[in-house]
Amino acid sequence: MRFFRLLRIYLSASLSVQLAYRANFFAALLSSFANLATGLLGVYLFYSRPEIKELGGWNLEAALMVVGFFTLTEGLISVWLRPNLTQLSEGIRTGTLDFLLLKPVDAQFQLSARNLNLLRLPDMLLGFGLIIWSAAALGTVTLGGALLAAVLYLSAVAMVYAIWFILNTSAFWLVNVQNVTELFQGVFSAGRYPLQALPLWIRPVLTFVIPVAFITTIPAQALRGELGQAALFSPLVALVLLVLCRVFWLRALGSYTSASS
Amino acid sequence: MNSSSAHHIWRKFKVLMAVQFAHMTVYRAEIVIWMLSGTLSLIMGLIWMQQAASSPNGEIGGYTAQDFASYFIATWGTAQILVVWVAWELSFDVRQGTLSPKLLRPIDPFWMHYVGHWAERIVRLPLMFVLLVIFALLTGAHYTTDVSRWLAYLMLVPLAFTLRFLLEYSIGLLAFWFEAAENFQELVWVLYAALGGLLAPISLYPAAVQMIAYATPFPYMLSLPCNLLTGKADLGDALRGWLILLGWTLAFAVLQAVLWRRGVRKYGAVGA
Repeated sequence: MRFFRLLRIYLSASLSVQLAYRANFFAALLSSFANLATGLLGVYLFYSRPEIKELGGWNLEAALMVVGFFTLTEGLISVWLRPNLTQLSEGIRTGTLDFLLLKPVDAQFQLSARNLNLLRLPDMLLGFGLIIWSAAALGTVTLGGALLAAVLYLSAVAMVYAIWFILNTSAFWLVNVQNVTELFQGVFSAGRYPLQALPLWIRPVLTFVIPVAFITTIPAQALRGELGQAALFSPLVALVLLVLCRVFWLRALGSYTSASS
Repeated sequence: MNSSSAHHIWRKFKVLMAVQFAHMTVYRAEIVIWMLSGTLSLIMGLIWMQQAASSPNGEIGGYTAQDFASYFIATWGTAQILVVWVAWELSFDVRQGTLSPKLLRPIDPFWMHYVGHWAERIVRLPLMFVLLVIFALLTGAHYTTDVSRWLAYLMLVPLAFTLRFLLEYSIGLLAFWFEAAENFQELVWVLYAALGGLLAPISLYPAAVQMIAYATPFPYMLSLPCNLLTGKADLGDALRGWLILLGWTLAFAVLQAVLWRRGVRKYGAVGA
């Protein structure tokens, strides 16, 4: 309960800061639409060629579903993970992390929930809208498929969170980690296309080394009513990553001596 | 300009270059990571190669899998040379007030940033070259042996970089009026990536999108130089593109100067 009350306070604080600048809101809205347009163009380019009928077995509507999951996840990263977790490396460098550790609330929770960049919320809404639109256009989506997709996407969110948290926790040793998260973002951009559109040799890498496939392709597959065996691994991978992330964090805290000492 | 003032400028440039180069070598680990995170064109390349290989004629729109490899590897390399982060730095300087001490120096901060970006290129280039050769060998990418096209490429790309720098500088200067310029910057990046030809060779775009793209400077910055190297554009195209880029560059140089003058006046007025 206490966590929820805190969440509400964090949310209203973020909101009042960001609504102060209207021009930024419009610029953010514009770039959300431009982002989505680029994603759609990237897919449309393939299907506009007469030589290409299907992209790795995905028709246009189904491929757009993957773009939807990608846009939603990118939005989630910009709204929630990026603004929070960059605070970690900054806090270590400037010593403000010490204040946070003194508070009687779990530090990982505070670090994960304090700031929301609500200006990027349109990205999430556009992504979600695209998923719904493409599901309707496909016309083969069942309630069971939708529920399964929701569960798989929750696992995906847990994975994205854990990966971001692990990358940022390495700030305890590396000091400047913003670049490492850029690298993840770069690899993650493969997630805007169905995994089967990529060459065979890279697919295991994008499934098991960096679990991009679990984040966009597999929820979309479930929503289409197809369930590969890989989907069964999704909650398992998420769980392993979450545990790893917690262990990593506790280890890091254990070896942390503040900036001032 | 007499020879002593030219000498003076040259000395300033040398000092700036030496300082910025030393500054950038500190960031060499980061530079490697930045290079690797620009993967979008490589991913697009992999997908187009896969599609071309599995299409009935082994090609799409006149591009075989190897042609796609050549195009996208060239795009990756060219985009590396065109990387600009000055908007981010400028808006930080304006917001945090760290611009003030820089205004006291006897040289416009513009030149510090511009030379700094070139210095970073010198750190970036050797490793980039190694990666380019590895990519090309792995995929069988092939490039023109016509020296004049390579020279035309070397004429186009520095101009394209300068234009992109001026464009981003203008966006950064918007921070004088708006709290953060990052959202504008992202918008321009998306346009540059999509219309410049990062998603596919421009000739594969729908006709309407091609028309829009050619009304912007972006395809001349990215797609045209790459097409020169793969032999899909000739010297006439290069000359036309170079003149168009020059026009855009002059326009943004003027815009940047106006924004800077007005912005600094506004910045001074609020007592920073």
